[in-house]
Amino acid sequence: MRWLLRLLRRRALDRDLDREVRAHLELLTDDLMRSGLSATEARRQAALTLGGVEQVKEASRDARGTHFVEDFLRDVRYALRSLRRSPGFTLAAILTLAVGIGANTAVWSVLDALVWRALPVERSEELHAVRHGAPSDEDPNYLFSYPRRGRLQAALPGSARLGAMSSIGGLYLATGQRNDPVSAQMVSGDWFQVLGVGAGQGRVLNEGDDDEAQAHPVVVLSDVAWARFFGRDPKTVGSTVRLNGQPVTVVGIAEPGFDGLTVGQPVYVWAPLWLQHQVGFYGNFSSNDSDTEKPWLPQDGIAWLTLVTRAPAALTNQVESRLATRYRAELVERFANADSVERTRALQERLQLEPLARGFSPMRAQYGDPLRVLMLSVGLVLLIACANLAGLLMARGAARGQEVAVRVSLGARPGRLLRQGLSESLTLAALGGLVSVAVAWLGGLGLLRAASPTSRPVSLSLALDARVLGFAAILALVTGLLFGLAPALRAARAAPFGAAATGVRVTHRLPLGRVLVASQLALSLVLVAAASLFVKTLGNYLRVDPGYAADQIVEARIEPRVAGYKYEELPGLYRRLLDAVGAVPGVRSVGLSLYGLGTGAVRLGGFRIPGDTRGSRQGQENYVTPGYFATVGMVLVRGREFTAADRDGLPRVSVVSQAFARHFWGTDDVVGRHFGYGEPQFEVVGVVRDARVNRVKQAIPRMVFHPLAQAPQEYALSVEARVAGDAGAIVAAVRAAIAKAQPDLPIRDVVMVSDLLERGLSREKLLARLAGVFSAMALLLAAIGLYGVVAYSVAQRSNEMGIRLALGAVPWKIWRMVLGDSLGMVVVGLGAGLLLWLPVQGLVRNLVFGLSPTDPGTLSFAVLLLALVGILAASLPAWRAARVDPAQALRGQ
Amino acid sequence: MTPDPLVRPDLLQGTLDMLVLRTLADEALHGYAIAQRIRLLSGDRLAIPQGSLYPSLRRLENQALLKGEWRTAPSGREARVYQVTAKGRRRLAAELREWRELSVAIGLVLGTS
Repeated sequence: MRWLLRLLRRRALDRDLDREVRAHLELLTDDLMRSGLSATEARRQAALTLGGVEQVKEASRDARGTHFVEDFLRDVRYALRSLRRSPGFTLAAILTLAVGIGANTAVWSVLDALVWRALPVERSEELHAVRHGAPSDEDPNYLFSYPRRGRLQAALPGSARLGAMSSIGGLYLATGQRNDPVSAQMVSGDWFQVLGVGAGQGRVLNEGDDDEAQAHPVVVLSDVAWARFFGRDPKTVGSTVRLNGQPVTVVGIAEPGFDGLTVGQPVYVWAPLWLQHQVGFYGNFSSNDSDTEKPWLPQDGIAWLTLVTRAPAALTNQVESRLATRYRAELVERFANADSVERTRALQERLQLEPLARGFSPMRAQYGDPLRVLMLSVGLVLLIACANLAGLLMARGAARGQEVAVRVSLGARPGRLLRQGLSESLTLAALGGLVSVAVAWLGGLGLLRAASPTSRPVSLSLALDARVLGFAAILALVTGLLFGLAPALRAARAAPFGAAATGVRVTHRLPLGRVLVASQLALSLVLVAAASLFVKTLGNYLRVDPGYAADQIVEARIEPRVAGYKYEELPGLYRRLLDAVGAVPGVRSVGLSLYGLGTGAVRLGGFRIPGDTRGSRQGQENYVTPGYFATVGMVLVRGREFTAADRDGLPRVSVVSQAFARHFWGTDDVVGRHFGYGEPQFEVVGVVRDARVNRVKQAIPRMVFHPLAQAPQEYALSVEARVAGDAGAIVAAVRAAIAKAQPDLPIRDVVMVSDLLERGLSREKLLARLAGVFSAMALLLAAIGLYGVVAYSVAQRSNEMGIRLALGAVPWKIWRMVLGDSLGMVVVGLGAGLLLWLPVQGLVRNLVFGLSPTDPGTLSFAVLLLALVGILAASLPAWRAARVDPAQALRGQ
Repeated sequence: MTPDPLVRPDLLQGTLDMLVLRTLADEALHGYAIAQRIRLLSGDRLAIPQGSLYPSLRRLENQALLKGEWRTAPSGREARVYQVTAKGRRRLAAELREWRELSVAIGLVLGTS
């Protein structure tokens, strides 16, 4: 601390010292004069005795212990001066560094926000989510019913609590004239308490809000929602708003910065669990022998709550084992009378605690690997840029050989020269790092937008906080050392002036430069190969046939449940929708369905067929209107479509997909067969060809279609219109037609299904695009690097070339010689690149589709491209070498 | 006749610091006076190299063993006067103890005591 103070006050201290030493000198001179010396002689003697004012001051300054920093500042000033003298080089270097460091920081900041950063709650490492499932299950199950949560809670020791929360769902928040869609979550009263999250205004929910009989309907808003919908109006707390039409009181605003436990999916409104039925909240659930139209809270068959608990490390095992024991006891009891197969299967289930320090994130699973691959690529680009800058600095150093030689002759020590060389590269890196902050911020935002599955960017806070800035600073420092060390070492080894001026021109062939260029080519090969793979993968996905006419279907997603339609009003609504959309010019036919194509919304059911001893098996369900298959273009391979005759009250019929039929019966000749949830209540009347109804990337599901008319309690959420001609132009007309026919019906989205499917490929697009950009950058940098090294060596050898030409060498042989020399570097670099690809290909294995990561075609393309770029980059200086004027070259000697 | 003072440019850094600290323990002095006082106390045998005095004062000040302030002497001259701090006194005591032990030990080896 005092050291720093001395550093900052060094000018004042210098002045003090000067005064003091001068005072000393005067006293000494006075004394000497008193002893009889003349004034002049006394002054001389005094100066001799003291040893020189400046020497004393210098020695005292060193005693201050801050000269390291003072020297460093002087070095930086020197570096800035010398950089100002070559503005072109400086600008190019700073820009290269700014883009390199900025791109790295951008990818890192997104990776950090999505994958590494802990939740903004206290001691987040203590938070755990409860999950259950058999070890063989693909995805863990986090859902529990409310009654089961109560039973598990009872098994917990002491004050440990199980906070419960629903999935995040869409509701409408009405304030005054506005009615905005918001993301909402139903939570138990103790949920905030478990998380340790308090209120910024008013209060958060507490256990008093849990009691349906006593409590008044209340909600808590997130700070962001408060700002966006209420402009931070202090009167918001205590006011009444409507949630899906239901009046509720805002009791508080959660503390700023907290927006739920799902990274990238902020929650705006939290409401007590019991409001689920009142506000009509239908988030993710799985149901079993229950009625989802009745309140979910008391039903043991509806699992819709995720449980979170707080357990210090010492107690985690105890909490987990108590919960697991209790859970197992319940399973044993419930399946006591089931057949042995089913019981064995059920008892494989285990309950476990899962650390929740970083929150949930569906995006993390999808983008974690791609972001890591991008991080690696962009890191390689920076490495390549470092190699380039090192080459440039070395060439600069060689050009300044004279200056360095003079300094060595005057007694500059190697350590001092090394420090000066490094301070130049570190100054460059620092300047580049400063500019990179802007690049990082814009890049991070762009990256998020590109990664977002919908047109609205994922909400992830990418503040330029200390973490991000620290990363950029460390990266700049490492970069500066990386590209500055080799040139600085070379400068420090410089010979004194005499040796350099002997007239014998030492021809540096820059062996280090050649190694750098070969490594640049190797790294570029890796990047180009990866980018080509990702581009081909995207192409392969886009060529996948979904099994329906995606580019001719306009899909409107509607929300009749939110609008408050009663069951008996639905048939009329459906008819009006079909008529209105059917009347739009260009629309050939219309159908309705529960879940739209390509939306990713999925309902799974467990089905049995008579005589199957293996118990129930899963199929995906949808409800559609007559003519739906013809409308969307799904091919019927057997039997018939649904017709208007398949009405409510008549025996239930269904159409299944080939995959479903083969899975259950081993054949697709299944028309007339029966199956059901328990009893075989459905008769198969038709079989359709398999289609990728979810997302192109997902496996082909086993589908069961029911007539919408036979399920009067299902709300159709999607209108599909088959259009002729330009579908894009009809989108707006369809929206207008629905809005005109049903002004009160919220329309979530009207899109072409092919666009929707493409959105599902946002990850592949992001990878293809960014890897393409990064590999182009790498290619350009490597080409510049190669050009630089060859040009430098040609310039060094220009008198050799002149002599060769004077002695009768043919110019094109010179050209071939130089080019052949550079091709050596290219071949070594590409060979090394192919070797480097071997460990890298494992990283991208899960990200490619339709081809292998060692696809020979892709790799040869990359090799050829790089070889071509290499030859082009080397040809120019080689050509120049062949055109050397012998007379001039020899005179230059 | 007084003997020629022993000017010892190679006077050990630590020794010089100790001498300065000891000199200032009795009285606050400015730099020139410190040099004079050391010479006087040593019976003109020891003249410290005046050029090393200021680095030594800086070192001691940085360790907070001394505290310097500008004062105006009765003659009207300004001078920076140094005072030993409490920490400085503790250090001096420790150093003196060490010095005595060391000199006894060296004396024993050299056979002079």
